[in-house]
Amino acid sequence: MFDSLSVNGTGMHVHQTWMNALSDNISNVNTVRATSETAFQARYVVAQSLEDGGTGDGVRVAGIELGDADGRLVYSPDHPLADAKGYVRLPDIDMGEQMTDLIMAQRGYQANLSSLDRVRASYQAAIQMGRG
Amino acid sequence: MAVSGVGGVNLNQLAQMYRQQVVSGADGTGGAARTAAGDPTAAARGADFGNVVRDGLSNLENLDRTAQGKAIQAATGDLTDVHDYVIAATQAQVATELTTTVRNKALEAFNEIMRMPL
Repeated sequence: MFDSLSVNGTGMHVHQTWMNALSDNISNVNTVRATSETAFQARYVVAQSLEDGGTGDGVRVAGIELGDADGRLVYSPDHPLADAKGYVRLPDIDMGEQMTDLIMAQRGYQANLSSLDRVRASYQAAIQMGRG
Repeated sequence: MAVSGVGGVNLNQLAQMYRQQVVSGADGTGGAARTAAGDPTAAARGADFGNVVRDGLSNLENLDRTAQGKAIQAATGDLTDVHDYVIAATQAQVATELTTTVRNKALEAFNEIMRMPL
């Protein structure tokens, strides 16, 4: 009973996870590492639809993929982590891309919320038939 | 979300009350000459509806328990996804509304029969 509510819940969960990943990427955008290490790798959420042979069971997080481990080399000879040539490794994360993704994740979450609200209103309207 | 126990009554007690009411309702419609024991179809009908109501109530109780568990998680900081609680609470709320509407309808029908002039 009330399947749509839990289906919307799965969508919200995926978008929530996406927002978590994006927050992590943005918080680590200036994480400096030595050139001997791998750079901070951006997290990408992989969504997978749940099939039940009918109208579907929603979506789930199939896994988290990691971005480029090479990052980008930045010349910063004064940095304590700089190598002999004066380079450090920064993550290859595009802030503009992260912010647009964040808007998409937010809007997706809101869309699921709106859908949830309408489904609830529909159920309550149906129950309303029995009163009176 | 105060959906725990409709009107402060434990849901199991409510289910018991329901079943008794429904079975006695079958007796009432059967009249004095035909008791529920004497009329197996009436007894079966009553028991069937009782089962439906009982299943509905146990389902409602499960939803309610889930919502309560989420509420506790929210209070203790163990809730990872905020919407989990809201969805559980919504499910419990809609299920409660449905169950009470069905109960009111059944009660109304029973009262209607009781008011029948003999």
